[in-house]
Amino acid sequence: MSITENILCSKSHEFLLDNGDNTFTIGLTDYAVEQLGDIVFLELPEVDTEFKKGETFATVESVKAASEIYMPISGKIIEINEDAVNAPEILNEDSYEKGWLVKIEATGDVAAEQSDLLEYEDYKEELE
Amino acid sequence: MTKETFLHDKHVQLGAKMVDFAGWSMPVQYTSIIEEHKTVRENVGLFDVSHMGEVFISGKDSMEFLNKIVPQDIEKLNYEKAVYCQLPNKKGGLIDDLIIYKLGILEYLVICNASRIDEDLNWMVRNSKDFDVQIDNRSHEYSLLAVQGPFADKLLRKMGLTTNQESFTIKPAQISQLKVLISRTGYTGEDGYEILVENRHSEFLWDKILEEGKEFGIKPIGLGARDTLRLEAALHLYGNDLDENTTPVEAGLSWSIPKDKIADYNGKDVITQQLKNGTSKKLVGLKMLDKSIARHEYEVYKNGEKVGIITSGGPSPILGANIALAYVKNDKNICIGSTVQVMIREKLHDAEIVKRPFVEKRNKIKL
Repeated sequence: MSITENILCSKSHEFLLDNGDNTFTIGLTDYAVEQLGDIVFLELPEVDTEFKKGETFATVESVKAASEIYMPISGKIIEINEDAVNAPEILNEDSYEKGWLVKIEATGDVAAEQSDLLEYEDYKEELE
Repeated sequence: MTKETFLHDKHVQLGAKMVDFAGWSMPVQYTSIIEEHKTVRENVGLFDVSHMGEVFISGKDSMEFLNKIVPQDIEKLNYEKAVYCQLPNKKGGLIDDLIIYKLGILEYLVICNASRIDEDLNWMVRNSKDFDVQIDNRSHEYSLLAVQGPFADKLLRKMGLTTNQESFTIKPAQISQLKVLISRTGYTGEDGYEILVENRHSEFLWDKILEEGKEFGIKPIGLGARDTLRLEAALHLYGNDLDENTTPVEAGLSWSIPKDKIADYNGKDVITQQLKNGTSKKLVGLKMLDKSIARHEYEVYKNGEKVGIITSGGPSPILGANIALAYVKNDKNICIGSTVQVMIREKLHDAEIVKRPFVEKRNKIKL
């Protein structure tokens, strides 16, 4: 089973994976990574920082530019992907299982906040 | 509407990501900017730079006219030679930077930036009224292909190039039986050539170079790598590092300005005064001391005081570090070896001022 069957995607190209225990994994979609090209720098927040849905929580830099990454739902950072910070190019290989960015504990009304997120197939269709 | 070069279909077929650049749809990358960058440093790369402008200057006063509009001494420019020039306004600020080639006794070719062609032509025409000169914009007739990298010369010789030419020269030549104008110049810091070819032959030549270049590891190279290559070589990009409020002296281009040019030129009083007395700002190279990346318009600080601004910045694939060009206050304590800070997302990051270019240039081929 592909991970993309379980994720929700935002219009700003973040993915949200429900880990089932009120925690979620957040990262960039394959489309986002492909558009960015070679990823050379990643700035992630500190563990325990809280963000509201829609707030900038991280920055990703490709060769050409810096891009902000937004929270798809509100949450508290419980883990960051150190491997991705140390070797941001792994996002280009696989932005889901290897190159995820942070894990969070949801702090808001998840059902309501997810309402504007799309299933992967619908997200792909929107891009066309 | 976005303009397309005659090689547009080739880029699309090769899977390039196309972006808008100065009103042109251009390939920013084919596979990966870093990979393309390394290909040019280690092997050879092919660029479509047909968006650039080609303006032919001819007529009885062509030399005197050019001498009026650039600080460089066009009287001393010999047949088939090229010179890097700037186009200053009356205050010495730069309308564009250019390469001028002498094609014949009263014939010159000016290659200018795609983004500035209208401004350049307007300025040239306005300055031409006292001269017997024809200004002929033939940008729409030619494609410009750049072949850059350590194997560029070998590849073109294999394709029948017989000219013997040093860097900064231009000659009529034949490549794969095509008549072209070929100049040993580029924008990468590597040895290489730029080939001016009639549009109707450009697709044939593009394919042929990629085919013949296979044994040398050739790849098509997009504008993304063109930018990182020129930054490593500390070559200025108009719009980033040069603009109408910056003089060539401030931009670190004094080396290109003859001190003994007799003829008057636009901005001469400001430029000669600055050559003598110095300027309040200067261009420096920065190397970030952590993994952060300085970008265009980020601020530069020293001891908590704002002392400058980044004009270009990004990763250097060859150094494995992040580099930048910045204008800083012309202060003796801000010099090669000193540490400054760059404000990146509200935090200060240390950077060292280092010499330019960031990597050794290998484009000074002498016969």
